Amino acid sequence: MLGKGVVGGGGGTKAPKPSFVSYVRPEEIHTNEKEVTEKEVTLHLLPGEQLLCEASTVLKYVQEDSCQRGIYGKLVCTDFKIAFLGDDESALDNDETQFKNKVIGENDITLHCVDQIYGVFDEKKKPLFGQLKKYPEKLIIHCKDLRVFHFGLRYTKEEEVKRIVSGIIHHTQAPKLLKRLFLFSYASAAQNNTATDPKNHTVMFDTLKDWCWELERTKGNVKYKAVSVNEGYKVGERLPAFFVVPTPLPEEDVRCFQGRGIPIWCWSCHNGCALLKMSALPKEQDDGLLQVQKSFLDGIYKTIHRPPYEIVKTEDLSSNFLSLQDIQTAYSKFKQLFLIDNSTEFWDTDIKWFSLLESSSWLDIIRRCLKKAIEITECLEAQNMNVLLLEENASDLCCLLSSLVQVMMDPHCRTRVGFQSLVQKEWIMGGHCFLDRCNHLRQSDKEEVPVFLLFLDCVWQLVHQHPPAFDFTETYLTVLSDSLYLPIFSTFFFNSPHQKYINMHQRQLSLPLTQSKSSPKRGFFREETDHLIKNLLGRRISKLINSSDELQDNFREFYESWHSKPTDYHGLLLPHIEGPEIKVWAQRYLRWIPEAQILGGGRVATMSKLLEMMEEVEHLQEKIDERHHSQGALLAEAPPLLRSSARLSSLFPFALLQRHSSKPVLPTSGWKALGDEDDLAKREDEFVDLGDV
Amino acid sequence: MWWGGRGQSFNIAPQKAEPDMGLSGPKPVQRTGMLESRSCQLGSHLALGCLPGEQILAWAPGVRKGLEPELPGTLICTNLRVTFQPRGWQRSQETPLSSEYDFVLVNIGRLEAVSGLSRVQLLRPGSPLKFTPEEILIHGRDFRLLRVAFEAGGLEPQAFQVTMAIVRARAQSSQAQQYAGISLSKAGQSSGPRKPPVPLLETSEDWETERKKQGAGSWRVSPVNERFDVATSLPRYFWVPKRTLDSEVRRAFGHFHQGRGPRLSWHHPGGSDLLRCGGFYTASDPNKEDIRAVESMLQAGHSDVVLVDTVDELPSLTDVQLAHLKLRALCLPDSSAAEEKWLSALEGTRWLDYVRSCLRKASDISVLVTSRVRSVVLQERGDRDFNGLLSSLVQLLSAPEARTLLGFQSLVQREWVAAGHPFLTRLGVTGASEEAPVFLLFLDCVWQLLQQFPAEFEFSEFFLLALHDSARVPDTLTFLRDTPWERAKQSGQFNSYTQIYTAGYSQLPAGNSVNPQLSVWDWDLRYSSEQILQFHNPGYDPEHCPDSWLPRQQPNFMVSGPPSSVWLFSRGALTPLNQLCPWRDSPSLLAVSSRWLPRPAISSESLADQEWGLPSHWGACPLPPGLLLPGYLGPQIRLWRRCYLRGRPEVQKGLSAPTISGLQDELSHLQELLRKWTPRISPEDHSEKRDPNTIVSQSR
Repeated sequence: MLGKGVVGGGGGTKAPKPSFVSYVRPEEIHTNEKEVTEKEVTLHLLPGEQLLCEASTVLKYVQEDSCQRGIYGKLVCTDFKIAFLGDDESALDNDETQFKNKVIGENDITLHCVDQIYGVFDEKKKPLFGQLKKYPEKLIIHCKDLRVFHFGLRYTKEEEVKRIVSGIIHHTQAPKLLKRLFLFSYASAAQNNTATDPKNHTVMFDTLKDWCWELERTKGNVKYKAVSVNEGYKVGERLPAFFVVPTPLPEEDVRCFQGRGIPIWCWSCHNGCALLKMSALPKEQDDGLLQVQKSFLDGIYKTIHRPPYEIVKTEDLSSNFLSLQDIQTAYSKFKQLFLIDNSTEFWDTDIKWFSLLESSSWLDIIRRCLKKAIEITECLEAQNMNVLLLEENASDLCCLLSSLVQVMMDPHCRTRVGFQSLVQKEWIMGGHCFLDRCNHLRQSDKEEVPVFLLFLDCVWQLVHQHPPAFDFTETYLTVLSDSLYLPIFSTFFFNSPHQKYINMHQRQLSLPLTQSKSSPKRGFFREETDHLIKNLLGRRISKLINSSDELQDNFREFYESWHSKPTDYHGLLLPHIEGPEIKVWAQRYLRWIPEAQILGGGRVATMSKLLEMMEEVEHLQEKIDERHHSQGALLAEAPPLLRSSARLSSLFPFALLQRHSSKPVLPTSGWKALGDEDDLAKREDEFVDLGDV
Repeated sequence: MWWGGRGQSFNIAPQKAEPDMGLSGPKPVQRTGMLESRSCQLGSHLALGCLPGEQILAWAPGVRKGLEPELPGTLICTNLRVTFQPRGWQRSQETPLSSEYDFVLVNIGRLEAVSGLSRVQLLRPGSPLKFTPEEILIHGRDFRLLRVAFEAGGLEPQAFQVTMAIVRARAQSSQAQQYAGISLSKAGQSSGPRKPPVPLLETSEDWETERKKQGAGSWRVSPVNERFDVATSLPRYFWVPKRTLDSEVRRAFGHFHQGRGPRLSWHHPGGSDLLRCGGFYTASDPNKEDIRAVESMLQAGHSDVVLVDTVDELPSLTDVQLAHLKLRALCLPDSSAAEEKWLSALEGTRWLDYVRSCLRKASDISVLVTSRVRSVVLQERGDRDFNGLLSSLVQLLSAPEARTLLGFQSLVQREWVAAGHPFLTRLGVTGASEEAPVFLLFLDCVWQLLQQFPAEFEFSEFFLLALHDSARVPDTLTFLRDTPWERAKQSGQFNSYTQIYTAGYSQLPAGNSVNPQLSVWDWDLRYSSEQILQFHNPGYDPEHCPDSWLPRQQPNFMVSGPPSSVWLFSRGALTPLNQLCPWRDSPSLLAVSSRWLPRPAISSESLADQEWGLPSHWGACPLPPGLLLPGYLGPQIRLWRRCYLRGRPEVQKGLSAPTISGLQDELSHLQELLRKWTPRISPEDHSEKRDPNTIVSQSR
């Protein structure tokens, strides 16, 4: 039934006239269809997923060919995703399908992942929203993970165009109610699927025990206590059910302002100094109330300024640091560099690449975050001071900086489980408003600020600069950033633990993967990809000697002295923040751009070599151990890890596009001027095979 | 573990040799009194490290700063180099030039003397020094930095002296002839016949061997330039089509700029040929036979000929020089660019832009060469700069063989050294105005490829760094002459041990050379065996090595008669040409100096709408497996930090070690252990201990 067929293109077929729209007439499609082996492409629906609308004979343009070619197929919209059916998936090698994403196919876009939709009317591109009077001949979808899709609707039936376009616009652009999130349909449909991975030890921080464990781990339990005063969210909806405060703090203080204005413990340093955060008290006009606030704060400060507490340095993040507005503006400029409609556009920006990049100031924002985190680290580490982060709600830059400081100072946070626990502790329990910041409900564009992505980008800089210090790789971070828009995990779809509690528990829903959610790693790719996500080398690096207990009194000295010493990958880790050192997270931002593909290149090229060597090391190690214990327990051969003779591309494991045959790199305008094709064909006949002369 | 992490090219801890009597004995108290005798001792001691003919001009004790660890030692200025000799470090007789502590005088790009906190004085040759320096900073033109703090306590005059000596010596060193009379001790030691590690292509045997290796059956070695009377900038031998007579070659070459006619650069196993030649000498008036000879040499038996206008879309020599100067200024530690403006400052140098255009053009040409049988001719007016760059890059992209250590060195020897790239002029050693580091631009392009294809190259970044740094080291003739003729003529004067080419140019029997000429490829002159081991890329995947790469020998399509299709490749597009040579019938074209057709006016907009595809009769032939197509988008072209930011140790520090080498160490350690316990080991033990000498001198 599907109008499917590969059109245009190959060297042998008649060269098409260059034009912006498809030159193919439906008759031609028909002839091609006969040649293609008919293969039913079925729509895979998740439990609870419903088909909403569909349209057939939609042309999906192949981006790399300057919109000249495409594949015909069916475009469908469900309550979970927009999907294009038509790609012949059997064409992929086994090696590639092995690394296919389990949930999201190459041509799937989750509704939450849609960023902007454009329509092309008479070769003019306009953003689409609301009710349409006229329907476009072409639909362009920009995704939040920076994919760009072009769908031609010229040969689609008019009613189908109307249905699919308005369907897509409605389901992606219109404001939505929380309870209409796909999350809930999925959760109720897939309830029995709550298998938990026993190996996953991510601490969820949803019990008092978890907080006590963390206090013990960081030896913060001397001066800080875990409290359950907010159990059942009786005190405040912005607070988690359990959290940690300074031991002498009376519980009624917590109740005073619904948890505002009290120092909440984030983490304790090895020297006993702690990182604390505090949300600001409500702004009051009334003098009397202000007086109350003032005396309340005085009381609080008295508590934490007294021994045994160290001197407190207050970092007010709302007044003299980045604003959310800055971040939003920078990112929206930055992402435009990667949302490419066609190749020409890309080449045009290419020459000015660095200045365009710089003018977005996204990298500078990353630098400022890293710098602030180093400053905080310096206070904690070198000056033995407590640091109190102050922010309006303590749930944006507070989360970012406190988790960044912990990644830098606490090697536990650089393991995969530790990092997931950190995200759980600082971001989920810290009440970062994922729902608003990701604009999942499409209620306010103003609230949409990629704070979490900024954090991941900062961590990426660290991973990139010090790969052996981390248990995970950049691929892990990329996958994590993608799961922000995947509404089968509950992790990133609520504004606070309270909101999640009332929506999940009161409706008696339990989500699959609830216990392992912050990273979808295990469930997301098939097992084999594990090696790409786990840093193979992170643990192997032997400990170096470090003696960094010197007291320095300012940032520069601290920074320079750290960098002049050999790096202890199991200790304090500082990033470089000089101009040339802050880089573009190429894997995340460039992975869908065909021109950026390096066939047989990139990091993946050395991966198989690395795995082979690791295998061999392990094998030999076993042999030696055997010899040591002189007992010949035969060990099973380690399974081959990544055995693939194929040359993988640098975009692996994300985009699967590869130039299997000769993709001409050469724009050859001149050919057509050479005369008609018959002539060339004749000439070919004249070729005489003289063999080797 | 810390490859180059300390701002050095390599990270091998300075050898902690037992303290020797010369330097460690006297203590500061005795210093003034013992100065005389100490200086004597020191002189004789230092002289041990000197090359014959090298003289110590001045020295002063000091501490090397900026790099970890701080090293006490001596700063010495000779008529060849400035060297910092750490205390207790003994110059090995094996490596008379140190890659780490030596700064050859010509390499000094800037000199700063520091006294007090803020007094920095830029020392230009001839500028007076008004104070006694406490510290001296030497900025190398190869982006290295040497920072030495002088010792206080009565030795200030020495600090002053050594600084002035450097200034004077630097001023006098611009003449390359300065080094005449200095010879490398290594050469004296070598006894018996010694084959150069890389074929130097000075004998016809070398050319013949190379021709056979490439399988260029329809080509032969022509000795027509044996006396350098066709062109002094050409090698004595080169490859011409088999059917062309030497007399025809001689006449045809006369119609090219500086006598540089079309020669084979590389024969693709699929059947295509890559040729290079200079611009047509338009003032000449060739007769019909000459034109026919030129055409048949350009056509080289193929029906399709693609002429590539080399300089088109590439920077000019002045552009390259300017970009390199700007890049050097930007990479200085005190560069004024603010951190948040660094990227646009980098863009402003345009260096990366030039790297990009080179890669882009090379990538296009390699598709042309590998996709079907044809003759691709690189044409540049001088044929000595970008032709070499493009032809080497194309070979690196298309031939896995060229990506091995030996293959790459042979490639540089053939396409740059033998082909007459004017190294001396381009690297500014002569002080002439035509300085333009085209070769360094090439090395940057290769580094980009190395970054993009980490498993495809047998050599490592450190090898490229070594080559980069060697460009200005005056120890061998490789980079110290402009033409093969000068190299041949002066090799005798430069190094008395080497063979002198006298009139008659009699062919020296191969294998009988008692003292072969040293070349830059004799790495053990400057690098220790540990360093040479690092030239190997541990991530090199042997699956891609030439043995497993079986070229599909395509049938040769030969057409008799005149070329049936001739195209000009320019501005990323092919345009048909009516004729190969500019002289034939249209005199109006003669006016156009080296370009014989107006450029096609293609704007970038119209390019977008073009159909991408090769002509149908060239066919959609799958790209050969060994072909690399590099990325050349803005985000993919990167700064070679280990090279250019060496002078900024704060940037260098903490560059993480390539972890694959750590694993390799572990692997060999485990194998060693196992070998000790078991007399015989499983056959799949494939990490034989590598002997540094075999790396560079693998049998041909």
